[in-house]
Amino acid sequence: MNKPIVILENISTGYGTKPVLEKVNLTIQSNDFIGVLGPNGGGKTTLMKLILGLLHPFSGKVSFPSGRPPTGYLPQVSQIDKSFPITVKELVSSGLKDTNPWFPHLGISQRKRLHRMLDEAGLTKLASRPIGELSGGQLQKALLSRALINKPRLLILDEPNTHVDKLFERDLYNWLQALNKEMAILLVSHDIGTITPIVKTIACVNGNLHYHPSNQLSEEVLRVYNCPVDVIAHGPVPHRVLKSHDHKAE
Amino acid sequence: MSDLLSVFEYQFFRNAVVAAILISIYAAMVGTYIVSRKIVFIGGGITHASFGGIGIAYYFGANPFAGAAIFAILTALGIEWIAQKGKVREDSAIAILWSLGMAMGIIFVFMTPGYTPNLMSFLFGSILSVGTTDLYVLAGFGLLVGIIYAIFFRPILYTAFDPEFAQVMGVRVAIFRYMMSVLMAMAIVISIRSIGIILVLSIFTIPQITAMLFTRNFARIIPLAALWGITGSVTGLILSYLLDIPSGASIIFFLTMQLLIIKLIFVIKQKIAAGRN
Ligand SMILES: Nc1ncnc2c1ncn2[C@@H]1O[C@H](COP(=O)(O)OP(=O)(O)OP(=O)(O)O)[C@@H](O)[C@H]1O
Ligand SMILES: [Mg+2]
Repeated sequence: MNKPIVILENISTGYGTKPVLEKVNLTIQSNDFIGVLGPNGGGKTTLMKLILGLLHPFSGKVSFPSGRPPTGYLPQVSQIDKSFPITVKELVSSGLKDTNPWFPHLGISQRKRLHRMLDEAGLTKLASRPIGELSGGQLQKALLSRALINKPRLLILDEPNTHVDKLFERDLYNWLQALNKEMAILLVSHDIGTITPIVKTIACVNGNLHYHPSNQLSEEVLRVYNCPVDVIAHGPVPHRVLKSHDHKAE
Repeated sequence: MSDLLSVFEYQFFRNAVVAAILISIYAAMVGTYIVSRKIVFIGGGITHASFGGIGIAYYFGANPFAGAAIFAILTALGIEWIAQKGKVREDSAIAILWSLGMAMGIIFVFMTPGYTPNLMSFLFGSILSVGTTDLYVLAGFGLLVGIIYAIFFRPILYTAFDPEFAQVMGVRVAIFRYMMSVLMAMAIVISIRSIGIILVLSIFTIPQITAMLFTRNFARIIPLAALWGITGSVTGLILSYLLDIPSGASIIFFLTMQLLIIKLIFVIKQKIAAGRN
């Protein structure tokens, strides 16, 4: 069941000529749930854009062993123009791909899918609202619905927990854990505390990438919010402290 | 009142009204894109750069309209190219093209020996002198924009709102952005004849801003903007005749008044609603 769907090999990428990420290796399996952690400006969003094909590698190789998987994307909310005149319904429909891409009206099956999606997300009542009138949590739900409506195999979420309360966050995490049975998930966050219990593994991104094949991070690391983490205590062995994966002191 | 109706007996006035209606319709479509994406400044760059083309055309005795069109389209494509490549700051590039176009226009008009016919009408517009051919051009262009919006409404909207997401979904974002740039440039140049370089951008923005007081749904802004464009510009035209003032300025003045009055009504209604609670 579990097979690689995306492989990054020795990637270096960035904007213009300035590299933001270097020597990045990562394999995403079809049932992965990877928490992507790191400080502001560490390159988390850049890594997501690389996987999405929005950025090209300067060097290294991105490959998809069984073709590019259908991908759902929830961008960081700061990338969304909330004052743009678009309704929740239109926003969510923009995630529909396959049929009838040209004509202004949705086909019957597309409309059914839209209504099912809005219903599942609890957005039916808000369908005709412009996105500018949504709360932070409602907007995140709408953006998540847009990412999910096309039934992706890979779901990329860039900080879906910004501007949302704890209750919504718990709802969201329950939803994600259910979704993880059908798709691989990459969840970007800099809130280590709340995501570690739900993800399966962790990738630490700060100019480069350190993969941590479990979700057990020590108290120590939780405090040392800044990635690269200096010490990682592997779960089952108390007090055993591993030296961080020999990255440059920077 | 009879005065009011008697103006419609004149062919030139009927032509002007039809022109105002046609312009309002395509400006509603193109302008909603401009206002939603907040790229009014790009429109300004295109408009003013086109003056360079007008100047050069005068100098070489060519059709000023063609000169304006070439300059406008090249400027629009250039700005979009810079935006996509991101090597230079977009606003700096716009400012440079804006002033370069104006400077070239002024230099070439100055160097052109003798009389430069219709120069004033390019700066201030002359909607009262549009002929039947002009009306066909306006109608033809309106139809073209309408067809493009009907077929490509979704990719246009999605590309305008969130180009990266659209690209992930497989929309050919770059192509649509270039297409919309060309459409914007053409819409502006075709309207310059009637409204003039100095005021043309208002017809692409004021009715849209008025419409956005009523709805925040892209698809609904378009017909509403067309409606407010038509009421404002036709009223402006009639007033320009009655008061004997320049028609382009009168249209824009009235469009703005209309916006302010509607805004005021909204504010008063809100105050009353707040007072009830
Ligand atoms: N479009 C861009 N052009 C040039 N540089 C950029 C661009 N986007 C990001 N950068 C730079 O790349 C680096 C990594 O940015 P990135 O957005 O990937 O960080 P991040 O880890 O997602 O941070 P945050 O937690 O704040 O979202 C930063 O130094 C940033 O300034
Ligand atoms: Mg980011």
